[in-house]
Amino acid sequence: MKPKGFNPHARWDRHIPQGGAPQDSGLVNERIEVLALFRQAKIYPRLFIWRDKIYRIRRLNYNWQERRGRELINFFSVDTGSDLYQISFNNETSGWRIDKII
Amino acid sequence: MILHIDMDAFFASIEQAVNPRLKNKPLIVGSRNNKMHTVVCAASYEAKALGIDSGMPTKEAFALCPHLEFVPADQTKYIWTSEQIFGVIKESGFTAFYSSIDEFQLDIKEAADPAGIASRIREDINRSFGITASIGIAKNCLLAKLASKLRKPDGLFLIDEDNIKKALAETPAARLCGIGPRTQEALSALGVKTCLDLYSQTPQLLERVFGANGLNLYAGLHSNETLPEDNHADNRPKSIGHSYSFPRASENTGFINAWIRLLSEMVARRLRAHDLTARTVHLWLNGPQIGGFSAQKTFQEPSQDASELYARTLRIMAKIGQKHPKIRALGVTASSLETPKYPALFREAKRREELIRSLDKINGRFGEDTIFPSQIMLTRKIR
Repeated sequence: MKPKGFNPHARWDRHIPQGGAPQDSGLVNERIEVLALFRQAKIYPRLFIWRDKIYRIRRLNYNWQERRGRELINFFSVDTGSDLYQISFNNETSGWRIDKII
Repeated sequence: MILHIDMDAFFASIEQAVNPRLKNKPLIVGSRNNKMHTVVCAASYEAKALGIDSGMPTKEAFALCPHLEFVPADQTKYIWTSEQIFGVIKESGFTAFYSSIDEFQLDIKEAADPAGIASRIREDINRSFGITASIGIAKNCLLAKLASKLRKPDGLFLIDEDNIKKALAETPAARLCGIGPRTQEALSALGVKTCLDLYSQTPQLLERVFGANGLNLYAGLHSNETLPEDNHADNRPKSIGHSYSFPRASENTGFINAWIRLLSEMVARRLRAHDLTARTVHLWLNGPQIGGFSAQKTFQEPSQDASELYARTLRIMAKIGQKHPKIRALGVTASSLETPKYPALFREAKRREELIRSLDKINGRFGEDTIFPSQIMLTRKIR
């Protein structure tokens, strides 16, 4: 008999609290201003302003989403030419954040 | 014909797409933040070339390659990507099957150009996500999976009537899915070394040596398989369970109980999401003194309340007979599942149900870990 299909929603890590201090030294978690293009249900960030400095996005490396309750967070790995950053857009609050320097 | 789509070093490839500086470098994805106290849950092909593979303790991996790149696993990213890839595969219009987070199957029936279909899927995945997949094509799932392994990474291999004997003759039987060390030993005793040797055996012989599994193996190799049209028709689970391994063994009762509580919460939340209750609770523990301990108990009253499941699990745990056993890994599973039959009778039970409904609503609105029993905080605080 064919086994039942994989269920990606049977998440094992959803409730598991991450113990201890995060080892990721690049964590930032600050609000930023972003110029982005919203086209055909997709988001293309073009530049962001962080601590009064403008960062032009040369390349969008990857993007993914996470649902947290009613909030849908869109994550982006972006390349400014000199550094890589993870920024995110919250559909519920329409707010942008810089999560970390990758 | 079946297409088996297997993502190449899935988690590691996604991390390399997120951070292109990691491309072409030996990289491991660890299941936890602490890079020296976890296990490899994925390795890039550059790391695999150094003898590093999934399941290896990271300490060993770093001993093999001190300059190894390390990234902690981010399941959200992998699950989202996996679902998107499944969406791309379904767009082909054929019956698709979600095998695991990084494996998918497609029943292309008697389509004229299987290799063309597979090439288009590989290109679509690569264009959309910047990662590669290997695809095997064969008359059944077992051979298609084998075919996908034979041209990894970023490969495409079709096993048909013209090349099946050659392909199987060149492949050791151990590469076939489901052939573990014990089966391999038994096959060696029969003189079976290659997949072709195995393919040539009669069903009677395989049944005599391996029982019903032998017959399944024969059918798996020889059948012309089709996938069910709707493999999610009966989506109701038979059991729901969660487990966790600690970075190191602990005998701290508060810490262990907090983890049992957390796993019970996770199980109960999923029971309620499916509108199911459970009569049977199963607990398994693993530790240096107790080895593998596993016990279950069926209760008269079904429940979907986490605190009740937790209390039942603790009653099972009392069977160990040791006061403070060292525990390395543990799991809680609920089974004998049924839909709730009767509404709560007594006021206290009704209030409890209302409370749980409210908590689920809050977590559904603000995210799963918004409100939870304070005991769960102990999973972070102590070891």
